[in-house]
Amino acid sequence: MTDAAPVAAAGRQRLTPRLVAIMLYARRSCFPPKRWLALLMPCVGALLFGLLARAIDLPRDRAFANVAAEGIFSLAMPITALIIGDSVLGAEVRAGTFHFTWLTPAPRWQIVVGRWITGSAVAMVTIAPASALAAVVAGSTRSAGAAYVASAVGSVAYVALFIAIGCITRRTAVWALTLVFLVERLLGEALTGIAQLSPTWESRAIFVGLIDNPPARLIRDGIPAGADAVVRLAVVAAAALALAVFRMKRMRLSGASD
Amino acid sequence: MTDHPLPPEAVHGTVPPDQFDPAFVADATVEARDVSVWFGPKVALSELSCSFGAGVSGLLGPNGAGKTTLMRAITGLTRVNEGSVLVEGRNPRTDRQVHHRMALVPEDEAVPPGLTARQFVRYIADLRQVADRSAPDAALGEVGLLDAADRRVDTFSKGMRQRTKIAAALVCDPRVLVLDEPLNGADPVQRAHLIALFRRLGAAGRTVIVSSHVLNEVERMAERVIVLVHGRLAAAGSHRAIRDAMDDTPRHVLVRCDDGRRLGSALVGLAAVTGLTFDPKRDGLVVQTLQARELAAALPRLARDASIRLHEVRPLDDSLESLFRELVR
Repeated sequence: MTDAAPVAAAGRQRLTPRLVAIMLYARRSCFPPKRWLALLMPCVGALLFGLLARAIDLPRDRAFANVAAEGIFSLAMPITALIIGDSVLGAEVRAGTFHFTWLTPAPRWQIVVGRWITGSAVAMVTIAPASALAAVVAGSTRSAGAAYVASAVGSVAYVALFIAIGCITRRTAVWALTLVFLVERLLGEALTGIAQLSPTWESRAIFVGLIDNPPARLIRDGIPAGADAVVRLAVVAAAALALAVFRMKRMRLSGASD
Repeated sequence: MTDHPLPPEAVHGTVPPDQFDPAFVADATVEARDVSVWFGPKVALSELSCSFGAGVSGLLGPNGAGKTTLMRAITGLTRVNEGSVLVEGRNPRTDRQVHHRMALVPEDEAVPPGLTARQFVRYIADLRQVADRSAPDAALGEVGLLDAADRRVDTFSKGMRQRTKIAAALVCDPRVLVLDEPLNGADPVQRAHLIALFRRLGAAGRTVIVSSHVLNEVERMAERVIVLVHGRLAAAGSHRAIRDAMDDTPRHVLVRCDDGRRLGSALVGLAAVTGLTFDPKRDGLVVQTLQARELAAALPRLARDASIRLHEVRPLDDSLESLFRELVR
């Protein structure tokens, strides 16, 4: 072992980029079978919301739009993103295995971004298609694309937020649910300033901006819609990731038994 | 520290550290100066100063002595509240470059789920940008896990997990290797193998810091020992210096048995016993000795010959409790 050649000085063999290594690790290690099962539950919930839309006595598109706004973007999507965001960082910190990554020279931004990319990819293949499928189940096939995009963009922002929360506190779930239901839902309902930074409200706005003749009650003044909302959520995600990188410097990591 | 029973050659005193202080080494790669760490009201380390250099150094102390906290502070996992820790002149908490040259094997059993041993070690190699693609397999071979390299780490036994973590630490050929109770769960053959490995690394000029609460284990692998008790430095130096120091220190041992009068009579005849009193509060004999090892060896024999049942044998000198316990063992 003492002859092992560290660092890129040897240079003859191709190195796996750290970012790629972190992404592969997060995919393999952060999503064991049980967690995939946990992820399926809110996705099934999204499909049930699609079924529920069929029971509403409105044109299919309008019925789905209402259900998607209140059920999928406000409940199923944040919960799925919470499971994903916690899995890629917070759960590992609590399990006492994160220091294997932390105690390497990998730049902190790569640790955060690599995990965020993996988490976002998982969201793309879970809640985003489930939202689109919910539109199909609801009989509003035309809304499927909008539901996919809105759900994907909202999840990506949420995953970044929940990674940041995982860097700040060990009680990721408690603080994440507080953020979603008390701050976003309750305060965001009353204060447009909060809604403007809320993935729930912004993903609703993206969805509303992408469908034809959205219900008037879903259009909220002061909230950017369509592409503007995508940009807004990109800013939220970037700020959350920057916060996570900043916090990672100050993390006090302890073992699982501590 | 000034009232410590051990003599100056084995004890880090309150004097400023210098070349004669056994807690410090020349050409130190790891240096802790006046380090204090506390978690709320609990003080884990208190004004601890010591250094480590090339070779194997043992960190010895009972559970809760602060060994793990010191190791975490050395690797930057734990922020020190006061004082400083430097690894090759750099702060491990803030300078990520330190981790190119340092690796930790934590005591926790936790391992990343879903990965095989090879995937795990390769992941660490990738993060450390180890160019040699055969290094992960070489590291697994060093700890005797090559045959199990494609098995999932979370299905491993405690000893195998520990060895996997050692392989992950070795994969980048670190100059500073910090091992927290690395022999936990290892069978006797593996223990011997790992001890030989650590000694080899130390002989190759690596700084190897190994913690344990088993004196005999540390003795087999480390040339130098740092003893921590209650977050403070209790002793430092070679085993011989510490053992000699202990031998010269009067020690009080509580002995409870079913016939104190007869055992007391028998003990008086022992050369190792320098004093004997009956403590009614503790309901036992308090034996004073300068030769703890001899007493430890003689006491069970004495009791057996006299058909006396021993209920408790316990040192009363807290600062040496762990060392004494090990000697008695």
